[in-house]
Amino acid sequence: MILFIYPFGKRIRAVAPKAHTLAEVMHARHGRSSQLMLAGSNIVGSVISLTSNFIAGGALVALLSPFSFGQGVLAVAVGVLMYTLWSGFRASVLTDFAQVVAMLGAVAIIIPVVFFAAGGPGMFTQGAGNLTPEQSNFFSSDAFLNQGAPYIAAVLAYAIGNQTIAQRLFAVREDLIKKTFVTATVGYGATVIGIGMIGVMALYLGISPTGGDVNNLIPQMASTYLGPVLLSLFFVMILGALSSTADSDLSALSSIMMADVYGKNIATKPNPKTMLLVGRITMIVATAAALIFASQQMDILDLLVFVGALWGALVFPVIASFYWNKVTNRAFTTSVVVALAVFIPVRFSWFSMDGVTGILFDILSAAGIGIVLGLMVFGFFGLKPAKIAGAVAALASAPFVIGFLHDYTVLTGSLVAYAVSTIVCYLMSVRSKQDFDFALIKQRIGDYDPVADDASNTPDDDLDGATLSARK
Amino acid sequence: METILLTVYVLIWPVIVAGVLWTVCRGFFKDWSESRKAGRNII
Repeated sequence: MILFIYPFGKRIRAVAPKAHTLAEVMHARHGRSSQLMLAGSNIVGSVISLTSNFIAGGALVALLSPFSFGQGVLAVAVGVLMYTLWSGFRASVLTDFAQVVAMLGAVAIIIPVVFFAAGGPGMFTQGAGNLTPEQSNFFSSDAFLNQGAPYIAAVLAYAIGNQTIAQRLFAVREDLIKKTFVTATVGYGATVIGIGMIGVMALYLGISPTGGDVNNLIPQMASTYLGPVLLSLFFVMILGALSSTADSDLSALSSIMMADVYGKNIATKPNPKTMLLVGRITMIVATAAALIFASQQMDILDLLVFVGALWGALVFPVIASFYWNKVTNRAFTTSVVVALAVFIPVRFSWFSMDGVTGILFDILSAAGIGIVLGLMVFGFFGLKPAKIAGAVAALASAPFVIGFLHDYTVLTGSLVAYAVSTIVCYLMSVRSKQDFDFALIKQRIGDYDPVADDASNTPDDDLDGATLSARK
Repeated sequence: METILLTVYVLIWPVIVAGVLWTVCRGFFKDWSESRKAGRNII
């Protein structure tokens, strides 16, 4: 899904070359409420992501060392905080290379080793009886509807809602955006699916996660089938991999607080030194919050799918704001608020889906399928093919969705978030008389570090319109 | 036949990941070498 975001990334970079966060661009495009809405959802998402990584670290330490889950969480949190606090995004980038080598290395080495140590191809014939008919079906609709489809919908929203991905859109050299995102797509996809193969092997081997906690399954398989040397390597590799995500989350959170909260809403004249202090305090507070949440030991996949679905409410309003000059601040804000107000009760089954209510939400879900596919096609091929693909997908899925899909609340919640935000944003914008000039975004977004810029620019040229007006 | 397909299905991902790892490492060391020659920081 990362692949589908790079055409939007090229547009975002063209419209706002000096931006640091998507929320900052929304401030220039719409105003404060849209910016804070996007920044707020980014903060929620990054704290949840940070929590997930601390939980994974705690589970790993608890299973593979004499230390407890709580001690593991604390060690990972303090370790990541220390080096990120010391050098911020620079440390995140520097450690990223070592961590990506660790993460990809773990998949490339550990999976084949576990596979052959667990009996090789023979496990598939001997262990076939351990699978239910649904588990042995490669095209299981139950697996797709409960996990695959919600994950697809969630990951598309990640690139918009997750500042750790968005900040790479702004950080990557413009001529390398396509190459970077294609490599990331192949690498990320193969890594995630590859790690999933440990779950497939566990199924055939009849291994259940310790204490019924699926977070324990991977370290449990590693400790069963790896020797001491490879087990230590696995331990270091996985800790490195999850530290990589955690430090990106800390950098993302500090960017949001520096650029979107302090830079745009508190300071009249942003001071780079104060910004740095704000960023560092954010990292400490976020780590403390994630430590508290991590102590609840929630299911990591559930957390990630939840936050992805939450971000689904933002995808259409954000993307439309970069292409459609009629989208207003009110349309953006209202559509996101309404979508969230519908998504949360659906996701947590706060009301019955019996009868007409279920049918109504199924119709919205069919529209959501069309919107997700339409957005994917739009990035690559433009508006007309996107409209056709979206309409065909919605109509073709309707007979299979209506009267049925509302039983899968995770998927329904995601699709409804997409559908409601799109419908509300479209209806409120289509008759709007606004004719936004996208060139204004470039003028309104400032650079907080004018020293590095071209000498022809005076510092004032680098400050945004709001700051300049505040100075006058 | 099913056993062979399942084996390929499980082992294909580490192979793809190894390919990506090689691409990333090659790119990193190329950039590192260029930045050292030019006397500037890689980031």
